[in-house]
Amino acid sequence: MKVSKKVCPGILAAVILITLLIWLPELPAQTAAAQSSAQHNDSTGPQWSVQVDRVDPGGVNLEPAFRIAIYENLLHELSTTKRFKEVLRSGDRNASGVPDLLILKTTIEKYTPGSETRRAVTTVSGATKLNVRSQLCTRDGQVILEQVVDGNVRFFGGNLRATHNLARNVANKIKQSTLPQATLPRHEERNEGPAVAAARSLWDSKSRGDRQAGPMALTLRVAQAPNGELD
Amino acid sequence: MNNSPTPSERTPDAHFGIGRTLACLMLSVWFSTVLIAQNPAGAEGSAAGSTMRVTHVLGLEGISNNATGNLSIQQNALQFQKGEGPAVQISIDSIQNIFLGEDNKQVGGTSMAVARTAAPFGGGRVVGLFSHKKYDTLTLEYLDTNGGFHGAIFQLDKGQGQALRDELVAKGAHVTQVEDQPAKQSTPEAENESK
Repeated sequence: MKVSKKVCPGILAAVILITLLIWLPELPAQTAAAQSSAQHNDSTGPQWSVQVDRVDPGGVNLEPAFRIAIYENLLHELSTTKRFKEVLRSGDRNASGVPDLLILKTTIEKYTPGSETRRAVTTVSGATKLNVRSQLCTRDGQVILEQVVDGNVRFFGGNLRATHNLARNVANKIKQSTLPQATLPRHEERNEGPAVAAARSLWDSKSRGDRQAGPMALTLRVAQAPNGELD
Repeated sequence: MNNSPTPSERTPDAHFGIGRTLACLMLSVWFSTVLIAQNPAGAEGSAAGSTMRVTHVLGLEGISNNATGNLSIQQNALQFQKGEGPAVQISIDSIQNIFLGEDNKQVGGTSMAVARTAAPFGGGRVVGLFSHKKYDTLTLEYLDTNGGFHGAIFQLDKGQGQALRDELVAKGAHVTQVEDQPAKQSTPEAENESK
């Protein structure tokens, strides 16, 4: 008994020391990694916007609640990444006015229904598993990022928790990936102010053959002609 | 001269006492969970035309996930109100589809799950076998004013889902896919794969 009383604090101290020795070198590395990740995100900037399309069940017999949960969780998780300027819903009419828009398409590839009760009773069975193909496309249908992502719930939580895990995994993969540069707005390319750019776009639309120029365009021409900038 | 037993001498009796205490504790937990798991009387089919106590699983903007509140039909809108907070309304005309489902869940939440895990001799698993409750899920698809597609999921007491769906359909909600049998979520391990 005396031996164990002496040994126990020694073992405890050794365990604490070893744990500290293992963790301490990793902490600065983790901080540096987090900083570089943040810098990466800042440098790319939130230029693209994304529209989340409805979840395509493919040939899989998937519960409607799962489809909706995946869709809503994707919207939430993509918003929290701050990778995109805007996260739009499927069918949103505002999407037509967004210049650099990506469309996120999600197709279910595999689904294993689980049971929370079975998980609670057996621990090893009853897992809910989801496997989806996720594609980021441009408006013209060009796929710029494609990945297959899993989302499971094995121990604690309800079955719908798999959709939350899935959406988080999809968002993380998109966050870690490198997207192509979004096209800059024209006024930034020409180093012009937005007012001049607006006037230029009006003038361009007129010069493209839009002969039904209204009073506004006429006034603009009169006002801008002495400047010579638009001619 | 001190006859009081040392801790090592007390072991058989102490173990017996601890065993009996644990057994009593497990029995009491088991009975309490069985009682909790029973549906409240009269819950089935009592939904129509009344306010229902439901759990908002996800989807409504401005309402946290898994929030419990009152769901009711107010004129031409489905209204969810959490406590004294502001109510969120969905116009019934904007509802594109309604789906019903069934599922069961373990009662007691996280604390109960931890207690089940910590229970010795696999007692937690036995408790888990009896401490589950069936409920209905109501999934709504609706559009916002910009045409954006939304979904919301509610968890209702068993039997209330069908009544609420009937009431919504009677008030003008669109249902493009009529399902006679509510879909069961907890189908055992039947793996689906797209070809």
